[in-house]
Amino acid sequence: MSRSSVLSSARSDSASPRTWRLIESWDASPEFNMGLDEALLDDPGAPPTLRLYTWSPDTLSLGYFQKWADVPAAASAATVVRRITGGGAIHHQAELTFSIVLPQTHALFRDPVPLSYERIHAALIAALSEFGVKAALAGPGGLRSDREQTGMCFHASTPLDVAWGTRKGAGSAQRRRGGRVLHHGSIKLGSTPLEGEIATLEEFLPAENVVQTFAAALLRAMEASFAVRFERQEPSAAEQSAARRLGERYSSAAFLHRR
Amino acid sequence: MADYPDRYQYTAEHEWVSVDDDIGTIGITHHAQEELGDVVFVELPEVGASFEQNARFGTIEAVKAVCDLYAPVSGEVVEVNKTIEDHLQVLARDPWDKGWLIRVKPDDTSTSHLLDAEGYEASLGEADA
Repeated sequence: MSRSSVLSSARSDSASPRTWRLIESWDASPEFNMGLDEALLDDPGAPPTLRLYTWSPDTLSLGYFQKWADVPAAASAATVVRRITGGGAIHHQAELTFSIVLPQTHALFRDPVPLSYERIHAALIAALSEFGVKAALAGPGGLRSDREQTGMCFHASTPLDVAWGTRKGAGSAQRRRGGRVLHHGSIKLGSTPLEGEIATLEEFLPAENVVQTFAAALLRAMEASFAVRFERQEPSAAEQSAARRLGERYSSAAFLHRR
Repeated sequence: MADYPDRYQYTAEHEWVSVDDDIGTIGITHHAQEELGDVVFVELPEVGASFEQNARFGTIEAVKAVCDLYAPVSGEVVEVNKTIEDHLQVLARDPWDKGWLIRVKPDDTSTSHLLDAEGYEASLGEADA
Protein backbone atom coordinates (compact mmCIF):
# COMPACT_ATOMS: atom_id res chain seq x y z
CA MET A 1 0.00 0.00 0.00
CA SER A 2 1.31 3.40 -0.92
CA ARG A 3 1.96 6.03 1.71
CA SER A 4 -0.67 8.28 0.16
CA SER A 5 -3.38 5.65 0.55
CA VAL A 6 -2.30 4.92 4.12
CA LEU A 7 -2.97 8.55 4.85
CA SER A 8 -6.13 8.75 2.79
CA SER A 9 -8.35 9.20 5.81
CA ALA A 10 -6.77 12.54 6.62
CA ARG A 11 -9.47 15.15 7.05
CA SER A 12 -7.57 17.93 5.37
CA ASP A 13 -5.58 18.07 2.19
CA SER A 14 -2.63 19.63 3.94
CA ALA A 15 0.46 17.63 4.77
CA SER A 16 0.30 18.65 8.42
CA PRO A 17 -0.09 15.73 10.82
CA ARG A 18 -3.42 14.97 12.40
CA THR A 19 -3.68 15.22 16.15
CA TRP A 20 -4.33 12.18 18.29
CA ARG A 21 -5.05 12.36 21.96
CA LEU A 22 -2.47 10.83 24.27
CA ILE A 23 -3.65 9.60 27.65
CA GLU A 24 -0.97 8.45 30.08
CA SER A 25 -2.00 6.41 33.10
CA TRP A 26 1.02 5.53 35.20
CA ASP A 27 0.60 2.96 37.97
CA ALA A 28 -3.14 2.86 37.39
CA SER A 29 -5.40 0.17 38.81
CA PRO A 30 -6.13 -2.81 36.58
CA GLU A 31 -9.85 -2.06 36.69
CA PHE A 32 -9.31 1.53 35.58
CA ASN A 33 -6.95 0.52 32.79
CA MET A 34 -9.36 -2.02 31.36
CA GLY A 35 -12.47 0.06 31.99
CA LEU A 36 -11.09 3.12 30.23
CA ASP A 37 -10.07 1.09 27.18
CA GLU A 38 -13.59 -0.31 26.95
CA ALA A 39 -15.14 3.14 27.43
CA LEU A 40 -13.07 4.48 24.53
CA LEU A 41 -13.89 1.47 22.35
CA ASP A 42 -17.61 1.88 22.86
CA ASP A 43 -17.76 5.66 22.42
CA PRO A 44 -18.07 6.49 18.71
CA GLY A 45 -17.51 10.14 19.62
CA ALA A 46 -14.12 9.54 21.26
CA PRO A 47 -11.23 11.14 19.37
CA PRO A 48 -8.39 8.98 18.01
CA THR A 49 -6.56 7.99 21.17
CA LEU A 50 -3.31 6.38 22.18
CA ARG A 51 -2.98 5.31 25.79
CA LEU A 52 0.28 4.48 27.50
CA TYR A 53 -0.05 2.83 30.86
CA THR A 54 1.44 0.77 33.64
CA TRP A 55 -0.32 -1.24 36.30
CA SER A 56 -0.43 -1.07 40.09
CA PRO A 57 -0.47 -3.58 41.60
CA ASP A 58 1.32 -5.92 39.20
CA THR A 59 -1.44 -7.75 37.37
CA LEU A 60 -1.84 -10.90 35.32
CA SER A 61 -4.28 -10.30 32.46
CA LEU A 62 -5.94 -13.21 30.71
CA GLY A 63 -7.08 -13.15 27.09
CA TYR A 64 -10.83 -12.91 26.53
CA PHE A 65 -11.20 -16.51 25.41
CA GLN A 66 -8.64 -18.14 27.68
CA LYS A 67 -9.74 -20.76 30.16
CA TRP A 68 -8.66 -20.01 33.71
CA ALA A 69 -7.35 -23.56 34.03
CA ASP A 70 -5.18 -23.14 30.94
CA VAL A 71 -3.11 -20.39 32.60
CA PRO A 72 -1.34 -22.03 35.55
CA ALA A 73 -0.02 -18.66 36.73
CA ALA A 74 -3.56 -17.45 37.38
CA ALA A 75 -3.89 -19.61 40.48
CA SER A 76 -0.91 -18.00 42.19
CA ALA A 77 -1.04 -14.43 40.86
CA ALA A 78 -2.18 -11.93 43.47
CA THR A 79 -4.15 -9.79 41.02
CA VAL A 80 -5.82 -11.08 37.86
CA VAL A 81 -8.12 -9.51 35.27
CA ARG A 82 -9.60 -10.81 32.06
CA ARG A 83 -9.13 -8.53 29.03
CA ILE A 84 -11.71 -8.02 26.29
CA THR A 85 -8.96 -8.47 23.71
CA GLY A 86 -7.83 -11.92 22.64
CA GLY A 87 -4.55 -13.77 22.81
CA GLY A 88 -2.63 -15.10 25.80
CA ALA A 89 -1.97 -13.97 29.36
CA ILE A 90 0.43 -11.15 30.18
CA HIS A 91 2.09 -10.33 33.49
CA HIS A 92 2.02 -6.56 33.71
CA GLN A 93 5.17 -6.09 35.74
CA ALA A 94 8.28 -4.32 34.40
CA GLU A 95 6.09 -3.68 31.40
CA LEU A 96 4.59 -0.89 29.30
CA THR A 97 1.11 -1.33 27.87
CA PHE A 98 -0.26 0.77 25.03
CA SER A 99 -3.71 0.87 23.55
CA ILE A 100 -4.88 2.47 20.32
CA VAL A 101 -8.59 3.14 19.83
CA LEU A 102 -9.85 4.23 16.43
CA PRO A 103 -12.72 3.66 14.02
CA GLN A 104 -12.30 0.50 11.98
CA THR A 105 -12.40 2.63 8.82
CA HIS A 106 -9.21 4.42 9.86
CA ALA A 107 -6.27 3.75 7.54
CA LEU A 108 -4.40 2.00 10.37
CA PHE A 109 -7.10 -0.64 10.75
CA ARG A 110 -8.55 -0.89 7.26
CA ASP A 111 -8.06 -4.07 5.22
CA PRO A 112 -7.41 -7.57 6.60
CA VAL A 113 -6.55 -7.61 10.30
CA PRO A 114 -2.92 -8.78 9.85
CA LEU A 115 -2.08 -5.57 7.98
CA SER A 116 -2.93 -3.47 11.03
CA TYR A 117 -0.41 -5.49 13.03
CA GLU A 118 2.23 -4.90 10.40
CA ARG A 119 1.60 -1.13 10.52
CA ILE A 120 1.69 -0.88 14.30
CA HIS A 121 4.65 -3.20 14.62
CA ALA A 122 6.60 -1.16 12.08
CA ALA A 123 6.35 1.79 14.49
CA LEU A 124 7.31 -0.42 17.41
CA ILE A 125 10.34 -1.76 15.56
CA ALA A 126 11.40 1.81 14.75
CA ALA A 127 11.14 2.76 18.43
CA LEU A 128 13.20 -0.27 19.43
CA SER A 129 15.88 0.61 16.90
CA GLU A 130 16.57 3.83 18.82
CA PHE A 131 18.10 1.65 21.51
CA GLY A 132 20.00 -0.61 19.17
CA VAL A 133 17.45 -3.40 19.36
CA LYS A 134 17.45 -5.30 16.07
CA ALA A 135 13.78 -6.23 16.16
CA ALA A 136 11.79 -7.65 13.26
CA LEU A 137 8.59 -9.57 12.61
CA ALA A 138 9.06 -13.15 13.79
CA GLY A 139 8.05 -14.77 10.50
CA PRO A 140 7.21 -18.45 10.21
CA GLY A 141 8.88 -21.24 12.14
CA GLY A 142 8.33 -20.31 15.77
CA LEU A 143 10.64 -18.69 18.31
CA ARG A 144 13.03 -19.86 21.02
CA SER A 145 10.72 -18.26 23.57
CA ASP A 146 7.77 -20.48 22.63
CA ARG A 147 6.62 -22.65 25.54
CA GLU A 148 3.71 -25.03 25.73
CA GLN A 149 1.05 -25.00 28.41
CA THR A 150 1.91 -21.74 30.15
CA GLY A 151 -0.93 -19.83 28.48
CA MET A 152 1.35 -16.79 28.44
CA CYS A 153 1.22 -14.47 25.45
CA PHE A 154 5.00 -14.11 25.27
CA HIS A 155 5.36 -17.90 25.14
CA ALA A 156 3.20 -18.25 22.01
CA SER A 157 4.32 -16.61 18.80
CA THR A 158 2.77 -15.90 15.43
CA PRO A 159 4.64 -14.73 12.32
CA LEU A 160 3.45 -11.14 12.86
CA ASP A 161 4.90 -10.81 16.34
CA VAL A 162 7.84 -8.52 17.05
CA ALA A 163 10.94 -10.46 18.08
CA TRP A 164 14.63 -9.99 18.66
CA GLY A 165 17.26 -12.56 19.49
CA THR A 166 14.69 -15.13 18.21
CA ARG A 167 12.54 -14.42 21.25
CA LYS A 168 9.16 -12.71 21.39
CA GLY A 169 9.41 -9.10 22.52
CA ALA A 170 5.90 -7.65 22.19
CA GLY A 171 2.42 -8.89 22.89
CA SER A 172 -0.56 -7.64 20.91
CA ALA A 173 -4.28 -8.27 20.60
CA GLN A 174 -7.40 -6.57 19.31
CA ARG A 175 -11.10 -6.23 19.96
CA ARG A 176 -13.30 -5.08 17.10
CA ARG A 177 -16.89 -4.07 17.70
CA GLY A 178 -19.40 -1.49 16.66
CA GLY A 179 -17.18 -0.35 13.83
CA ARG A 180 -14.32 0.47 16.19
CA VAL A 181 -11.03 -1.19 17.13
CA LEU A 182 -9.14 -1.48 20.42
CA HIS A 183 -5.54 -2.59 19.88
CA HIS A 184 -3.52 -3.67 22.91
CA GLY A 185 0.27 -3.78 22.83
CA SER A 186 2.72 -4.86 25.53
CA ILE A 187 6.47 -4.48 25.84
CA LYS A 188 8.49 -6.12 28.59
CA LEU A 189 11.05 -3.73 30.00
CA GLY A 190 12.60 -6.33 32.27
CA SER A 191 12.28 -10.03 32.91
CA THR A 192 9.69 -11.35 35.34
CA PRO A 193 9.30 -14.86 36.80
CA LEU A 194 6.11 -15.76 34.93
CA GLU A 195 7.58 -14.96 31.52
CA GLY A 196 11.04 -16.44 31.52
CA GLU A 197 13.23 -16.72 28.43
CA ILE A 198 11.52 -13.95 26.46
CA ALA A 199 12.99 -10.82 24.85
CA THR A 200 13.07 -7.77 27.11
CA LEU A 201 14.60 -4.32 26.95
CA GLU A 202 16.59 -4.83 30.13
CA GLU A 203 20.03 -4.84 28.52
CA PHE A 204 19.24 -2.01 26.08
CA LEU A 205 17.83 0.70 28.31
CA PRO A 206 19.33 2.64 31.20
CA ALA A 207 18.10 1.41 34.56
CA GLU A 208 16.64 4.81 35.47
CA ASN A 209 13.32 6.01 34.05
CA VAL A 210 13.03 2.97 31.86
CA VAL A 211 9.29 3.35 31.25
CA GLN A 212 9.50 7.03 30.38
CA THR A 213 12.53 6.53 28.18
CA PHE A 214 10.90 3.87 26.07
CA ALA A 215 7.51 5.62 26.07
CA ALA A 216 9.11 8.75 24.62
CA ALA A 217 10.74 6.73 21.84
CA LEU A 218 7.47 4.96 21.07
CA LEU A 219 5.68 8.31 20.77
CA ARG A 220 8.32 9.62 18.37
CA ALA A 221 8.12 6.48 16.25
CA MET A 222 4.32 6.47 16.12
CA GLU A 223 4.21 10.16 15.24
CA ALA A 224 6.50 9.47 12.31
CA SER A 225 4.91 6.18 11.21
CA PHE A 226 1.28 7.23 11.51
CA ALA A 227 1.83 10.89 10.48
CA VAL A 228 0.15 12.12 13.65
CA ARG A 229 0.99 14.47 16.49
CA PHE A 230 0.12 13.51 20.06
CA GLU A 231 -1.51 15.92 22.46
CA ARG A 232 -1.46 14.90 26.11
CA GLN A 233 -4.85 15.06 27.77
CA GLU A 234 -6.60 13.64 30.77
CA PRO A 235 -9.64 11.46 30.08
CA SER A 236 -12.83 13.49 30.36
CA ALA A 237 -14.91 13.29 33.53
CA ALA A 238 -17.47 11.19 31.64
CA GLU A 239 -14.75 8.82 30.45
CA GLN A 240 -13.32 8.48 33.94
CA SER A 241 -16.75 7.75 35.28
CA ALA A 242 -17.39 5.16 32.54
CA ALA A 243 -13.98 3.62 33.23
CA ARG A 244 -14.81 3.15 36.90
CA ARG A 245 -18.24 1.71 36.11
CA LEU A 246 -17.02 -0.64 33.37
CA GLY A 247 -13.83 -1.55 35.18
CA GLU A 248 -15.45 -3.41 38.05
CA ARG A 249 -16.29 -6.35 35.82
CA TYR A 250 -12.71 -7.11 34.84
CA SER A 251 -11.62 -8.45 38.21
CA SER A 252 -14.99 -9.94 39.17
CA ALA A 253 -15.10 -13.68 39.86
CA ALA A 254 -17.88 -14.12 37.32
CA PHE A 255 -15.86 -12.60 34.49
CA LEU A 256 -12.54 -14.16 35.52
CA HIS A 257 -13.99 -17.65 35.77
CA ARG A 258 -16.37 -17.43 32.85
CA ARG A 259 -14.12 -19.94 31.11
CA MET B 1 -14.60 -11.96 -5.74
CA ALA B 2 -16.65 -14.34 -3.69
CA ASP B 3 -20.25 -14.76 -4.68
CA TYR B 4 -22.79 -13.63 -2.11
CA PRO B 5 -25.96 -15.70 -2.31
CA ASP B 6 -29.02 -13.70 -3.39
CA ARG B 7 -31.27 -15.57 -0.99
CA TYR B 8 -29.50 -14.04 2.02
CA GLN B 9 -29.59 -10.55 3.48
CA TYR B 10 -26.48 -8.95 4.95
CA THR B 11 -25.24 -6.43 7.49
CA ALA B 12 -22.33 -4.08 6.95
CA GLU B 13 -20.67 -5.95 9.85
CA HIS B 14 -20.59 -9.10 7.69
CA GLU B 15 -23.40 -11.16 9.20
CA TRP B 16 -25.88 -12.85 6.89
CA VAL B 17 -29.46 -13.96 7.57
CA SER B 18 -31.82 -16.13 5.65
CA VAL B 19 -35.49 -16.23 6.70
CA ASP B 20 -37.46 -19.35 5.77
CA ASP B 21 -40.70 -20.53 7.34
CA ASP B 22 -40.48 -17.84 10.01
CA ILE B 23 -37.04 -19.00 11.15
CA GLY B 24 -33.99 -16.82 10.57
CA THR B 25 -30.65 -18.55 10.12
CA ILE B 26 -27.64 -16.34 10.88
CA GLY B 27 -23.98 -16.70 9.98
CA ILE B 28 -20.94 -14.66 9.01
CA THR B 29 -19.74 -14.07 5.49
CA HIS B 30 -16.76 -15.43 3.67
CA HIS B 31 -15.42 -11.87 3.51
CA ALA B 32 -15.43 -11.53 7.32
CA GLN B 33 -13.27 -14.60 7.63
CA GLU B 34 -10.89 -13.43 4.95
CA GLU B 35 -10.44 -10.18 6.85
CA LEU B 36 -9.96 -11.87 10.21
CA GLY B 37 -7.93 -14.93 9.34
CA ASP B 38 -8.42 -18.30 11.00
CA VAL B 39 -11.17 -18.33 13.60
CA VAL B 40 -10.03 -20.08 16.78
CA PHE B 41 -13.01 -19.66 19.14
CA VAL B 42 -16.70 -18.93 18.81
CA GLU B 43 -18.93 -17.85 21.67
CA LEU B 44 -22.63 -18.25 20.93
CA PRO B 45 -25.75 -17.60 23.02
CA GLU B 46 -27.94 -20.25 24.60
CA VAL B 47 -31.25 -21.37 23.14
CA GLY B 48 -33.96 -19.15 24.61
CA ALA B 49 -31.88 -15.98 24.66
CA SER B 50 -33.49 -12.97 22.97
CA PHE B 51 -31.81 -10.20 21.05
CA GLU B 52 -32.84 -6.88 19.64
CA GLN B 53 -31.81 -6.09 16.11
CA ASN B 54 -28.18 -4.85 16.02
CA ALA B 55 -27.50 -6.18 19.55
CA ARG B 56 -24.40 -8.25 20.20
CA PHE B 57 -25.26 -11.94 20.22
CA GLY B 58 -21.83 -13.53 20.32
CA THR B 59 -18.12 -13.20 19.76
CA ILE B 60 -15.53 -14.84 17.60
CA GLU B 61 -11.80 -14.90 18.11
CA ALA B 62 -9.49 -15.12 15.17
CA VAL B 63 -5.76 -15.48 15.65
CA LYS B 64 -5.32 -11.73 16.00
CA ALA B 65 -8.68 -10.20 16.91
CA VAL B 66 -11.79 -10.77 18.97
CA CYS B 67 -14.90 -9.52 17.15
CA ASP B 68 -18.48 -9.11 18.26
CA LEU B 69 -21.37 -10.55 16.28
CA TYR B 70 -24.49 -8.44 15.76
CA ALA B 71 -28.03 -9.71 15.31
CA PRO B 72 -29.37 -8.78 11.86
CA VAL B 73 -32.92 -9.30 13.13
CA SER B 74 -34.47 -9.27 16.59
CA GLY B 75 -35.89 -12.46 18.01
CA GLU B 76 -35.43 -15.50 20.21
CA VAL B 77 -32.69 -18.06 19.66
CA VAL B 78 -34.24 -21.44 18.87
CA GLU B 79 -31.15 -23.38 17.79
CA VAL B 80 -27.38 -22.99 18.14
CA ASN B 81 -24.86 -24.70 15.88
CA LYS B 82 -22.89 -26.45 18.61
CA THR B 83 -20.98 -28.43 16.01
CA ILE B 84 -19.16 -25.27 15.01
CA GLU B 85 -17.48 -24.84 18.40
CA ASP B 86 -15.53 -28.05 17.93
CA HIS B 87 -15.17 -27.89 14.17
CA LEU B 88 -14.28 -24.31 13.37
CA GLN B 89 -12.86 -25.26 10.00
CA VAL B 90 -16.48 -25.68 8.85
CA LEU B 91 -16.92 -21.91 9.19
CA ALA B 92 -14.28 -21.25 6.60
CA ARG B 93 -15.17 -24.16 4.37
CA ASP B 94 -18.91 -23.64 4.22
CA PRO B 95 -19.94 -20.26 5.68
CA TRP B 96 -23.27 -20.27 3.81
CA ASP B 97 -24.64 -23.62 4.85
CA LYS B 98 -23.02 -25.89 7.44
CA GLY B 99 -21.23 -22.89 8.95
CA TRP B 100 -24.42 -21.22 10.21
CA LEU B 101 -24.20 -19.96 13.80
CA ILE B 102 -27.68 -19.55 15.28
CA ARG B 103 -31.33 -19.84 14.27
CA VAL B 104 -33.84 -17.35 15.65
CA LYS B 105 -37.58 -16.90 15.62
CA PRO B 106 -37.69 -13.30 14.43
CA ASP B 107 -40.03 -10.82 16.06
CA ASP B 108 -40.51 -9.40 12.59
CA THR B 109 -39.66 -11.34 9.46
CA SER B 110 -39.10 -8.16 7.46
CA THR B 111 -35.50 -7.82 6.34
CA SER B 112 -35.89 -4.61 4.38
CA HIS B 113 -33.43 -2.84 6.71
CA LEU B 114 -30.65 -5.20 5.59
CA LEU B 115 -28.43 -5.20 2.53
CA ASP B 116 -29.07 -7.48 -0.40
CA ALA B 117 -26.16 -9.33 -1.97
CA GLU B 118 -25.48 -6.54 -4.43
CA GLY B 119 -25.62 -3.89 -1.70
CA TYR B 120 -23.31 -5.90 0.52
CA GLU B 121 -20.75 -6.37 -2.22
CA ALA B 122 -20.94 -2.65 -2.94
CA SER B 123 -20.30 -1.89 0.74
CA LEU B 124 -17.17 -4.01 0.61
CA GLY B 125 -15.96 -2.01 -2.35
CA GLU B 126 -16.48 1.23 -0.46
CA ALA B 127 -14.60 -0.07 2.57
CA ASP B 128 -11.69 -1.17 0.43
CA ALA B 129 -11.52 2.01 -1.64
